[in-house]
Amino acid sequence: MVTFEVPEVDYTRYTNRQLAAVPVAVLVVALLVIAGWYVATGAPVTPGLDFTGGTELRIAVDAPSDQAAREQIRAAFSEEPESIRSVPSDGTYVVTFKASDVGAAQLERQAEDAGFDIRSIDSVSASFGAETQRLALGGVALAFVGMSVLVFLLFRTFVPSIAVVLSAFSDIVIPVAMMNLLGIELSLGTVAALLMLIGYSVDSDILLNNHILRRSGDFYESTYRAMRTGVTMTLTSLAAMIVMTITATVFGIQLLSAIGTILVFGLAADLMNTYMLNLSLLRWYKYEGVAR
Amino acid sequence: MGALRDNWRVLLLVVFVLASTFALLSPTVAPDEGPGSPGAASEGATNLKFGLDLSGGTRIRAPLVGVTAEEVQFGGDSPGQVERNVAAQLRGADVTDVTARQTSQSGGTVEVTADNVTQSDLATALDAAGYGHGEVRDGVTAQTREETVRILEDKINQAGLSGGTVQEVTTASGEHFILIEVPGEDRSEVLDLVQSRGTVRVDVYYPVERNGSTEYQRDRAVLERDDFQTIGAAQQGGNGQPPHVPVVLTQETAPEFQQKMVDTGVAQRGGSTCTYEENRQTTGPCLLVVVDDRVVGSFGMHPSLASSMRSGDWASDPSFVLQTQNFSEAQELSINLNAGALPAKLDLGPDGEGTSSYISPTQGESFKTDSVITGLIAVFAVSGVVFVRYGEAKVALPMIVTALSEVVILLGFAAGIGYPIDLAVVAGFIAVIGTGVDDLIIIADEVMAEGQVRSRRVFRSRFRKAFWVIGAAAATTIIAMSPLAVLSLGDLQGFAIFTILGVIVGVLVTRPAYGDILRSLLTDDR
Repeated sequence: MVTFEVPEVDYTRYTNRQLAAVPVAVLVVALLVIAGWYVATGAPVTPGLDFTGGTELRIAVDAPSDQAAREQIRAAFSEEPESIRSVPSDGTYVVTFKASDVGAAQLERQAEDAGFDIRSIDSVSASFGAETQRLALGGVALAFVGMSVLVFLLFRTFVPSIAVVLSAFSDIVIPVAMMNLLGIELSLGTVAALLMLIGYSVDSDILLNNHILRRSGDFYESTYRAMRTGVTMTLTSLAAMIVMTITATVFGIQLLSAIGTILVFGLAADLMNTYMLNLSLLRWYKYEGVAR
Repeated sequence: MGALRDNWRVLLLVVFVLASTFALLSPTVAPDEGPGSPGAASEGATNLKFGLDLSGGTRIRAPLVGVTAEEVQFGGDSPGQVERNVAAQLRGADVTDVTARQTSQSGGTVEVTADNVTQSDLATALDAAGYGHGEVRDGVTAQTREETVRILEDKINQAGLSGGTVQEVTTASGEHFILIEVPGEDRSEVLDLVQSRGTVRVDVYYPVERNGSTEYQRDRAVLERDDFQTIGAAQQGGNGQPPHVPVVLTQETAPEFQQKMVDTGVAQRGGSTCTYEENRQTTGPCLLVVVDDRVVGSFGMHPSLASSMRSGDWASDPSFVLQTQNFSEAQELSINLNAGALPAKLDLGPDGEGTSSYISPTQGESFKTDSVITGLIAVFAVSGVVFVRYGEAKVALPMIVTALSEVVILLGFAAGIGYPIDLAVVAGFIAVIGTGVDDLIIIADEVMAEGQVRSRRVFRSRFRKAFWVIGAAAATTIIAMSPLAVLSLGDLQGFAIFTILGVIVGVLVTRPAYGDILRSLLTDDR
């Protein structure tokens, strides 16, 4: 049977500075992307339909080709669709419209008149979306603060706690920057994924801290043991999320594919943050911080 | 006995799984269905209920239109007087749009539920009518919301939209929304039903001789909903009789109505013939049935009924029929009369604050199978990694079985309390499998660290160490998810609730059981 072993990294070859440099650099780039996005568009990430308001229709179109179907869709509606996406598995199209004077009822009628089979309609008003956005951002902030407080209570020492909080912060910021770069809009699904990341990403950090701080044994030995477990954990989740993202995209289940995409980025970022950023801080704390 | 005591955690897990399977499959646990509900079609072989995005249907979420003035000093006037005085000062609002509620000795609230009346409009009207008042805010009072929910429920039930639910939801910032969910029904049909206020009244339209010429006069609201003691179901009519709704008037109203009919000539000798629809200028006296300011029926009176009214006998047995132009109008009339008028409208237009979504039953069905496939594939991916990593079936297999049993327990829980499964809940299940397997990996690695686990004592101490990490991780997940579970962000609540539940079940039941299973597989002394 094929088995894999988590490789043992020789951490003694790198200084704390070298180790931390990579994740810190990535974090800074991610923050710059988000800041740039904020300056350019007025929002740290492009909010999607759930937050801006608008109407989304999923319709089945009877057309010989993809090209023809898209033309039919453009011709059917009085308003220019913001986007048209095709769902590979069942040949339907997801058409979104910005919030405007043309209401969902009118779009529904136009779709019916054009002979499209309406599979679903989602309509969110602009003011409701704004409220949802406030709630969602508040929720993420609250969850993050709650997690930080809990981590401090668990470890009761500053450096190890801040190491966990910092790498969790980076785990969230990096996927958000990736969303901007890849043109993924913020939706309820991505917010859920960000919250899930807070829970997931802290696991491996807590594990690492626990092994190094609370167990007897050599620093590098503890690290290796924590890594063996932690990397397996993260890889398992990563594998599940990669396949979930692919299948959900093929089936056009947007909620699941949004959650999957963000988690894939977040978990990958977590591998780097836990075993480079968190680890270097812990090593500094163990060898130099405690002595002070 | 010893084996039983040692393995109680495993036993507990088995009990939980069995109980969940029972809740899932037993017909006795099936959640109550509304009367005559055909909703069973979407239920399938299990007791699971599915949310709208998996079963198809319409969901509408909207606030109510209205502005409310708090702490209005009524100055000794009755609420009815206040309503009339305020309405007189408001352009674009009828008396029916103004509601005054006495909440204290000296006054109460005044709300206006018409479109286009702003906070300052109401404040100005109150000032002009001479009523002192406190804050004027957007929104309506709690009583109005409750009443609206009740009436909407009635309307949906009477329209035969089975399984429909109406509830009031409040966001974290204190905004109130009405949430309507109707499975299997088209968006436009539900909108038609809930968007109309459904105010019903009966007017008399009759000719009067004035200075030698015939003019028509219309007396509004000779009958309103409160004047009916019983309201029947809509009738098809037939044999020359149009579709209608049979009603019985209250004892108090009947004599007054009888007199009005005689005075206006509707109950003239030989009855009256109404041709309101053909020509309003030549018709005999008419009764008009008006729903939301739209005439849905107009009719005269049969000679025998007219003579019974003229003799005064009718008032002792005051049954009557309200005729309409067609049967669907009669149905709508009966619904509106039975349920009553909505005290306030849902804010739904293009510039409204509402949201609506519709998912066709076919789409819901395919979402259902597709999300099951997606979940299964995720489980296979997890299993694959775990098998490759440990290369030992006796470690990996129980791991996967345990993680799946968590999902079974959650499904059983959902079936037991009748929580509808939607896509967000499915995402929650996948999250639970993820965290669950993570924790089992921690247990397995910890227990198997440094060679063979021979004695039970070593096992126990290692297991306890592993559990500290699991507990800490579980606590962070719960904290991270709790804002979503509490804040009513609608669509994601199920996701958060089931992730939290899964973590709790995992920490208390399944993960300790996995420890026991692993112990009996790994230790020698048993």
